[in-house]
Amino acid sequence: MSRSSRRRMHMDLFLQLSANGLVLGMFYALSALGLTLVFGLMRVVNFAHGELYVVGGLIGWALTETLGLNFFLTLAIVVVVLGIAGYLIDRLLISWVRGQGEEPTILLTIGLSIFITNTALLIVGTTPQTVLSPFKSKPLFLGPVVLTQSRLFLVVICAALIVGAYLLIQRTGLGRAMRATFQDPMAAQLVGIRTAHIYGFTLALGAALAGAAGMLLGSIYVVQATIGGVVSLKAFVVVILGGMGSFPGAIVGGLILGLAEALWGGYVNTGYVDAIGFGLVIVMLLVRPYGLFGKRIERA
Amino acid sequence: MQLGNTLKRSAFIGLLGVAAMTTSASAEDTIKIGVIQPLTGSVAYNGTTDINGSKLAADEINAKGGVLGKKIELVIEDGQCKPANSVNAAEKLIQRDKVVALSGAFCSSATLAVMPVAQNYKIPLITGVSSSAPLTEKGNQWFFRATETDALLAQSFAKILYNEIKLRKVAYIGVNDDFGRGAVSEFEKQMKALGATTVMTEYFEHGTSDFYTLLTKLKASGADGVFVAAETQDGSILVKQKAELGLPVKVFGVGSWATSDFIKLTGDASEGIYAAVPYASTMTTPKNKAFVDAYTARYKEAPGKYSTAGYNAINILAQAIDRAKSTDAEKIREALTKTNYEGPNGHFQFDAKGQASGFTVVLVQLTKGSPKVVASTTVEQH
Repeated sequence: MSRSSRRRMHMDLFLQLSANGLVLGMFYALSALGLTLVFGLMRVVNFAHGELYVVGGLIGWALTETLGLNFFLTLAIVVVVLGIAGYLIDRLLISWVRGQGEEPTILLTIGLSIFITNTALLIVGTTPQTVLSPFKSKPLFLGPVVLTQSRLFLVVICAALIVGAYLLIQRTGLGRAMRATFQDPMAAQLVGIRTAHIYGFTLALGAALAGAAGMLLGSIYVVQATIGGVVSLKAFVVVILGGMGSFPGAIVGGLILGLAEALWGGYVNTGYVDAIGFGLVIVMLLVRPYGLFGKRIERA
Repeated sequence: MQLGNTLKRSAFIGLLGVAAMTTSASAEDTIKIGVIQPLTGSVAYNGTTDINGSKLAADEINAKGGVLGKKIELVIEDGQCKPANSVNAAEKLIQRDKVVALSGAFCSSATLAVMPVAQNYKIPLITGVSSSAPLTEKGNQWFFRATETDALLAQSFAKILYNEIKLRKVAYIGVNDDFGRGAVSEFEKQMKALGATTVMTEYFEHGTSDFYTLLTKLKASGADGVFVAAETQDGSILVKQKAELGLPVKVFGVGSWATSDFIKLTGDASEGIYAAVPYASTMTTPKNKAFVDAYTARYKEAPGKYSTAGYNAINILAQAIDRAKSTDAEKIREALTKTNYEGPNGHFQFDAKGQASGFTVVLVQLTKGSPKVVASTTVEQH
């Protein structure tokens, strides 16, 4: 093979791997966004994040495959249902242990994750399912890079949801109230913000994002009651890389993780591709423990 | 003083009650067989079909009067295809449920971990699934393998893959455990000996959902054939994503390729895949038709290799207990060595290492959603 065509082949491989990595990265970003927001705005480490993702996927499967509902309608329903669930989880469970430090909420969310996983197992069983998508899985050839229509559309929808969440937090009254409550709960209460409701809405947002990710990704991957742990783990990696509580951090962290996994897997070894994420976490914690965009905020 | 006496009396009565309950419970008339299969996780699909086959066998045996006048009771535990969980399941079955024999644990890595437990407690262990060759080389007298090894499949079918399907540049993909690694190395050895070149060898974790990186490497490797060692869930996702990427590479493999749930999950992407399996529902052995009919009537789908594995394991154990005329572990073990059983995929007998021979293995090609038998061979005793 001539040198120029060999170089072209290397370039093609690199481009394909990078495309894979960016697509995967967007998926990771959406999956992790709910986790980082809940931590950033509420200082709650939600260990049940992966399970909320699973529930979103299961509802997506139930509605699209067994009831035959439209994909986008189902997405809206998943967002609403998970939002309500998140609000209730906060008001009925987390509010009991608020203010007692971080350990009780951690224990509570871990217990919640176990409860959700096993209830889901009881109801739907172990069989892996998928969410029916209106997008085709036929390959689209963009030069040397191959993508599928469904992946491309999902990336676009993910981006739309991320932008939507950003606008909610930065441009709406509710978002302003959330940010105020995070900055200083006492002051927020003094200006008339009902912080108890705000906490509920924050967890609702986190849960809705997790559930939306679960449903969207369930259309190209798998929906199964037992994958919550893996999802949470990857979300934690993203959040540590990007900085806990940072919105842009989740995006950048997700893209970094996606690219790292694709390139490491492609050039080194696909068998241990999960290791690169944890390797990056170790390096990040040693070099820059607050993450790339983490803010060192001292609370008064 | 009064209180102390009352307490003592109630404790005594309580103990009597518990003793009465336990004695009545242990006077049950069943022979318990422990079954360790993955009921959760990415192999749960296949573990459940094994249980289906096992239950069909147990019910058929019980309908004919059971064994030694008692009914067979299957005590099922979830090994999750993980060594640690399977060992826990084995300990629980042996110590608490007092089973007379074990069937499991599906994944070669898990079975490997359970083998020493069986040897320690002197309980016979039979597997209808685990195909990693080293299992029968461990000298464990309590372990019996009622299925093929990947070494055997490789030896039987490599020539056909090389000569008739003309595979010259082969890539190897396997799930990252004893089964995947073993199968890859066995087939690679055979294909290399015939003259094929290896262009890529990669592994993936159980439950991987995104194979794009792996498939990108496959595309860049220039392979004309790819060998895949995987189970239903991972295999179907890999094959579907391969179709999404538009890769025309021929696929041949070991694992769960010829089962009806794999074909259903994969859909059109399953067309043309070659699989080396110890059972296909389209086999024409004397006992297969009755088995396929009974299984399809009960479970509404055709049986696959795991259904047959569970079915065979329970039947072999039941016949051994019958031959031993006792539930004593050593007598059952002795009787197992004299197994002479006719299953849906042929005849089974065990050699000195506990490896079965005499049954048929087939190379199938998935054509229009059905496994068409391309070649078949009988497993010879070594």
